[in-house]
Amino acid sequence: MDAASYILSVAPAFMAYYLTSLGQGFFEKSGVLNLSIDGVFVLGIAVAYAASIYSCSPWVGLAAAVLTAVVFGMLLTYVTTKFPVSHGAAGLSIMFLGYGLAGLVGVAARNTYNEMVVSGIYPQFTLPVTPIAKVLMFAIPVGLGILLYLLEVRTKLGAAVRAVGEDPHAATSLGIDVLRVRLIAAALGYSLIGAGSAGFLTWVATWSEGTGINHGWIAYAVSLAAGRHPLLTVGTAGAFAILATYMYTLQAAYNLSPEIAKMIPFIVAIGAMVTFMSTPLRKKLAPPQSLGRRFFKEERTV
Amino acid sequence: MKVVLVKRVKPLPLGGLVIPGASIVIGVLISTVVLYVISRADPLVTLSCVASALVSPEIVLTFLFLTILGAALLVAFNGSIWNIGAEGQLWLGTAAATYIALFTALPQAPAIAKVAMVLTAMALGGTWAAVAGVLRAYLSIDEVPVTLIMNYIAYYIINYLVRGPWLGKKTWGYIRTDMIPDQVKFTLLPGSTTVTYEVLIIAVLALIAVYFMLKYTSLGLRIRILGSNPDALKAAGVNVRALIITALTLSGAIAGAMGAAQLAGYLHRISYPIESHTANYGYTAILVAWLSMLDIRAVPIAAYIVSALYQAGISMQIAGISSASATYVFIGAVLLTFTVLRVFSEYSLRVIRG
Repeated sequence: MDAASYILSVAPAFMAYYLTSLGQGFFEKSGVLNLSIDGVFVLGIAVAYAASIYSCSPWVGLAAAVLTAVVFGMLLTYVTTKFPVSHGAAGLSIMFLGYGLAGLVGVAARNTYNEMVVSGIYPQFTLPVTPIAKVLMFAIPVGLGILLYLLEVRTKLGAAVRAVGEDPHAATSLGIDVLRVRLIAAALGYSLIGAGSAGFLTWVATWSEGTGINHGWIAYAVSLAAGRHPLLTVGTAGAFAILATYMYTLQAAYNLSPEIAKMIPFIVAIGAMVTFMSTPLRKKLAPPQSLGRRFFKEERTV
Repeated sequence: MKVVLVKRVKPLPLGGLVIPGASIVIGVLISTVVLYVISRADPLVTLSCVASALVSPEIVLTFLFLTILGAALLVAFNGSIWNIGAEGQLWLGTAAATYIALFTALPQAPAIAKVAMVLTAMALGGTWAAVAGVLRAYLSIDEVPVTLIMNYIAYYIINYLVRGPWLGKKTWGYIRTDMIPDQVKFTLLPGSTTVTYEVLIIAVLALIAVYFMLKYTSLGLRIRILGSNPDALKAAGVNVRALIITALTLSGAIAGAMGAAQLAGYLHRISYPIESHTANYGYTAILVAWLSMLDIRAVPIAAYIVSALYQAGISMQIAGISSASATYVFIGAVLLTFTVLRVFSEYSLRVIRG
């Protein structure tokens, strides 16, 4: 393999981790603590797999994963913003639901897949992985990341998202509809998470019960390690995608244990949180002030 | 006309019973519908799996484990410290107990070895949780992502040990540690194949200790005030940093004890990789702690219900009706329903005209 193909091999993993952590970071900027990420990611993979098989097109799978993720993201946002409930509990319950639904949907689709294979049809559930497609798997996510960054810092909507994350009560008094802004952030963030899960399916190119479990948390760690900054996330996601793609090559070449390699993003995430909170980087990269806080006044219209 | 959510003057009478009860019923019904729609599981069979799990003797061990972990989480949760890391803390407890059982001379004195296994497990689980406590106390880093992330670091540390230095000699090609010596295995209750005296004792001790600590000690009082009014504590001159670290350490230590119990009472060895062999008790226990509404007396009830749901999922899988995922659907649906319904213990819906 030449250098170019070494780099291109990283593309599917990069697409999976970058889009997912980009969406996660943007959504959390709006102040909702998102612990549903792993469950929604796993569900996205299963839905992408199932929809591709039923429709014989991986693009339908991609769209279905995006839609499913957005539905669950908006559910989480609605529940945590409208009612005085714990973000953590709501997120974890959606995580469990995601794991469960993923298994049910995926197993049913795999049975169909096996029947189709017997009758000679091989439905395609992975996105194309030609060299050009792989270049696009780098280019499109990074392009989306730049757009999202511009949206975050240059537009009114971006300012509103940051405002409801820092102090939703102050934002309300400035005339911002917190629920609406958070729902928009959820729609954008979760569509990226859904696309990321379809990328993951393309990367691993197989589905069994439990595929993708823990990888949502890796994306979470990747996002935290970059302080939820869309452009810094390119670096952390890229570094981890390389590590994940070449985990076993690295083991053979440098005797780097895969366990240590898998641990790295999590340790880096904690290290980054410590750095961001104890140095002047705090101004730029600290978590939103109201992340995970209940947004509630004495009474309110449902 | 609009519907508003109004704070109640007093919490809903009997809310601690009505709301979890209603959530379980609604959550199970939602799961039944979901299982029918996606997997064509006959609703009657699903419901009968749940009903028979409620009286199944197989849930006792899960019930005891979840009771211990529920008690562990309540120590932190009562202080509004959201320890999501029981999973990592308990597995490090398992690892600590494995070390004592396999790599020290202590098993020659079985009674001492058993106590040492539990105590080292508590020490390691507590220390692991304390790291998150220090970060929260001194750098105000949210403990939720830290404890969660540390679960995975714990998994991979143990995976590394099991694949490397701890790999057993008699494992028939499986990647796992050797079996711990017979004399340090916990003693089975007569007539049971899974439940041991020691696990029972640890569960009872954990419940009683946490009950007394929260109710009758100044530490418990401070933890409860930390949950409701941390500023009052600061004004009263309490060292809030030390308090946060203490609460997390105690929580991790009890979770660690459950890890030792899981090794000596049931697993008897660690198999690689942890993330596919874990029963996810550390996460499931969060549901137990929530359903108890942070009241230690309700923890056994919540643990009983959750272990029954857990078992219902497994029996549906054994019956070939659904995949392993049914358990997750049950747990997710009940937890989500409860998270929303819980609001109504302190708030009520009113219709206002105009």
